[in-house]
Amino acid sequence: MNHRAQLHVLREFFFSQIQGEPIYDPEGNRVGKLRDLAIRWEGEGPPRVTGIKFAKGYQKHIPIDKVEEMTHDNIRLVGKLKEEDLIPLQPDEIYVGKWLMDKQIIDLKGSKVVRVNDIKLFWVKSGDRKYVIPMAVDIGLRGLARRLGLEFLFKRLENQYVWWQFIQHLEERTAALQLRAERAKLDQLHPADLADLIEDLDYKKRTDFMEDLDVEVAAEAFSEMERDTQIEILEHMNDMQASDLLEEMPPDEVADILGELPEAKADALLNLMEPEGAQEVRQLMVYEEGTAGSLMTTEYIALSPQITVTEAFAQLRHLAREAETIYYLYLVEDDKTLSGVLSLRELLMAEPDAVLRDLMQTRIITVHPQDSEQTVAENLKKYDLLTIPVVDEANRMLGIITVDDILEVLIPDRSSLETFANFFVSKRTVRG
Amino acid sequence: MRGRFANLSRRIWIFLAIMGPGIITANVDNDAGGITTYSVAGATHGYKLLWTIIPMTLVLIMVQEICIRLGAVTGKGLADLIRERTGVRWAAFIMVGMILGDLGNIISEFAGIAASLELFGVSKYISVPVALVFIWFLVHRGTYKLVEKIFLGACVFYLSYVISGCMANPPWGTVMKELVVPNFSLSGDYIIILVGVIGTTIAPWQQFYIQASVVEKGITTKEYVYSKLDNTIGCIACNIVAMFIIVACAATIHVHGIKIESAQEAALALKPLAGHWAFVLFAIGLLNASLFSATILPLSTAYYVCEAFGFEGGIDHTWKEAPIFYWLYTLLVVIGALVILFPNIPLISVMFWSQVINGVLLPFVLIFMLLLVNNKDLMGEYVNGPVLNGLSWIVVAVLITLSSMMVITSFLQ
Repeated sequence: MNHRAQLHVLREFFFSQIQGEPIYDPEGNRVGKLRDLAIRWEGEGPPRVTGIKFAKGYQKHIPIDKVEEMTHDNIRLVGKLKEEDLIPLQPDEIYVGKWLMDKQIIDLKGSKVVRVNDIKLFWVKSGDRKYVIPMAVDIGLRGLARRLGLEFLFKRLENQYVWWQFIQHLEERTAALQLRAERAKLDQLHPADLADLIEDLDYKKRTDFMEDLDVEVAAEAFSEMERDTQIEILEHMNDMQASDLLEEMPPDEVADILGELPEAKADALLNLMEPEGAQEVRQLMVYEEGTAGSLMTTEYIALSPQITVTEAFAQLRHLAREAETIYYLYLVEDDKTLSGVLSLRELLMAEPDAVLRDLMQTRIITVHPQDSEQTVAENLKKYDLLTIPVVDEANRMLGIITVDDILEVLIPDRSSLETFANFFVSKRTVRG
Repeated sequence: MRGRFANLSRRIWIFLAIMGPGIITANVDNDAGGITTYSVAGATHGYKLLWTIIPMTLVLIMVQEICIRLGAVTGKGLADLIRERTGVRWAAFIMVGMILGDLGNIISEFAGIAASLELFGVSKYISVPVALVFIWFLVHRGTYKLVEKIFLGACVFYLSYVISGCMANPPWGTVMKELVVPNFSLSGDYIIILVGVIGTTIAPWQQFYIQASVVEKGITTKEYVYSKLDNTIGCIACNIVAMFIIVACAATIHVHGIKIESAQEAALALKPLAGHWAFVLFAIGLLNASLFSATILPLSTAYYVCEAFGFEGGIDHTWKEAPIFYWLYTLLVVIGALVILFPNIPLISVMFWSQVINGVLLPFVLIFMLLLVNNKDLMGEYVNGPVLNGLSWIVVAVLITLSSMMVITSFLQ
């Protein structure tokens, strides 16, 4: 903390302003010109410029602590340039000019992909040491104009910065660069934002990016993406990683996605998944698209009608993690037939030692797996339900459909003509 | 047997899903300017320019394939690659040129819309505003998938030229012979129109458009074979249409020694010579081509400008998400349409400058394309092979020579 208090900004400038400026030693001899800056991207401490690339095709840098003065039109060194002072690029360093300028980066704050027009640098003094610190990337029109020598036309425009801590670069990095810190940053984004971000990337980067993420975070973001993007990502991922991703997702969604992949690919992925999860997905995939069966999930809460309210709470604590909704509890006999339903509210209000069979409602609205989406929607609306159970002819419980599932069908993400058509159809059928 | 059939039908389905970028791009080559050029070529020189059709098809396939490959391997648009690999100045130079050149083209598309509907007695003060509103809403309200389907559907209308070519009842024997026997003349007139024909077929903006639509579709190296087929079919279809336009005008207007300077005059001249329906089809073809290109050109211009400068772009975004994209798009179509409505705008000199700008830009774009496609860091195993590479450089050299000739001759005129 102490050194921070003494930090003193000597000068600020843009990378584009100092790139190409001459470097002189104290005797006024020209040593070279500033071609690029090496910065430490990750690792200990704040990011800072570590060296100056000063000659074409020469891989060693002038270390930054050999710089006495840095201005807009020249750089002066502390002493004469000696061969043994020069340092090569370290594994945790990158060149800003080569790997950052003009490239796409992720703006974590705005959750979108932007292009780097320029880089803002601070020349600071802390005690008797001097540093160059990259502060922000400039993504605005004014930065663009500056690069083209037209900044005077945009003097009234504010510079648009993304501060250094909110950027995530995308270019192929050297293997040694640590990813952990970057992951931590991304994990803080809302899955829906992360999904939008990934959709903005080109397909090659999408896959790399997904592989870098924590699998649970990746799965959440993946669920939020549009179906086409999901398919594309799965097709480019290696099968092991794809199956890990799918395992983290609800089986009904997995079944829908796999249903749109080529059969061979879907089979390969299912075989790599845990047998239990894969089995559920296989059962769901049997149902045709547009039917209740294809919408339902098997992750609902089923309890035996024999148990008491206290026992029910104990079981709920375990079951709640996996289930898609816990608002309705389905009471299922040993032979899997559905005998009643109980809402969480009713369970909360009941006496602790009451038996569920005495509390449950036995008049249940159900649908069959071959019923159409419209039938499901009508029933949910007519009876004001949040969830509807799906049963077979013998009244055996197969799964549930939530309002969310049906909403996704009726209102896709983007406003488009198709949405309009769907809306129109659903309105008519519900009325009829 | 059944397995083989299933496999075949699977391949056909994949092709149908991938189809689009190549066919659409190739068809936009036959825009209002293209149809004018071919009509004038046929009317002035008869069948003497037919031999260019086959080599031009091959060159077009080759050039567009490079962009498809660039898009499929890198997942990035051409503007994006130029910005990242050659820096902001080159990107800005090319983009400013493209905006100006494309604006000229857009104006000529609206002129085509006005001219084709005037043939049916519709005033341009009605047709142009209606077309403007139609085009603007199509892009504004549609998703990319929907718009692409409409574009593909519009390609069918190009067949009207094939039919009207047949109705002109040309001597098929002569047509076949002229198609394969090169026929070169050194007269200045002939060279100008030859270069014009080539210039209208291979334009800078197409390379950006085809690569962007390959990327937008998410086509990768796996589906790239299908994209190549899409491209080949598109280029062949485009040049067949061009051939029939030349044939229609050669068999009628040229034989009677009538002089024409525009597609509109060509359609009118066809009426007494090849019948009312040949005239109607010719005019409908012109309307379709102009409308089609007037939609795609501003769309793709806005798209790659945003790509180069890092603004959000693409019609799957909302106006709020991608304001610059939509403003640029709107400005381009509105200016394109308004210019036609002002009576005193010197259309000829607008066309002239747009042609010159495109001619100047083409060499840069082609050279960047070849440098990019030969970059091993970028393309890996998909760089050009030695034979293809040699061939590409030769073709590019020829195209550059021709486009410089065009620029020079247009100044000499």
